[in-house]
Amino acid sequence: MDRDERPGPIVQIRRRVRAGAEQIFDLWTKPDLMVRWMSPFPGAVHCKATCDPRPGGAFSLVMSSEESSREVSGTYVEVDRPRKLVFTWIGPLTNNVTTLVTVELNPRGDDETDLVLTHERLPTPAIHEGHTKGWGHILDHLADAVGSGG
Amino acid sequence: MIEIEARKEAASRTARLDAVFAALADPTRRAIIERLSRGEARVTEVAEPFHMSLAAVSKHIRVLEASGVVERHRKGRDHILSINTRSLDEVDGWIERTRCYWNERLDAMERLLRELKKNHKLGPKDRKRGSR
Repeated sequence: MDRDERPGPIVQIRRRVRAGAEQIFDLWTKPDLMVRWMSPFPGAVHCKATCDPRPGGAFSLVMSSEESSREVSGTYVEVDRPRKLVFTWIGPLTNNVTTLVTVELNPRGDDETDLVLTHERLPTPAIHEGHTKGWGHILDHLADAVGSGG
Repeated sequence: MIEIEARKEAASRTARLDAVFAALADPTRRAIIERLSRGEARVTEVAEPFHMSLAAVSKHIRVLEASGVVERHRKGRDHILSINTRSLDEVDGWIERTRCYWNERLDAMERLLRELKKNHKLGPKDRKRGSR
């Protein structure tokens, strides 16, 4: 059981993916593949990616349509193909504050991989809607962070 | 002018959020919040389950108050602590949006993997770049 002491609330997503770790790693680090899934804008929006996957190297993803353009960019912190990729992440989602994304790939058999994505070091919400969802999510999250603690 | 105001607002929100995250970084403080999420409580009640002095717990409570996560009011001689849910709504909002963002992206990633696999089955030799 790995119980990392994280600095605070984080977003963590786990998935079992039907593909080998090498192939998944390529999707994250090859520009011609990155553009095929990383843009949240489907269809007409043009997406251009550049990346230099080594520690200190940069990546950027520019999504542009006729009206507007958005960019996500960052710097690789750790590149351990095909097991682990850590990079900073700055973009509209983070209100242009630097955050950190870690992608871990743990092979499970020949053609399956457990992917764990962690997004942390937190930004400002770009939009402050009045809606209050109450406590559910944050407490779920805290529960994860605290563990069963007793 | 409006833009400057908006930027100031964003900056102070960033500072607030940083304070909240710093406050939440400690397991004892998270446990205090967990306790208060079940309802307001006296300082002594909050301190009770911890194996540490009241002074040590009070220090954590002060950090939580400074961040705006926890509020204190008096009822007679008692100091009552409660959670300021608004401070956590911002955190909650970010977590929700980020989770949603990555889930959608990972869905797209898996769709692409299926597509690549299908093309691969056509036979690696015949495979053409960007087919279909």
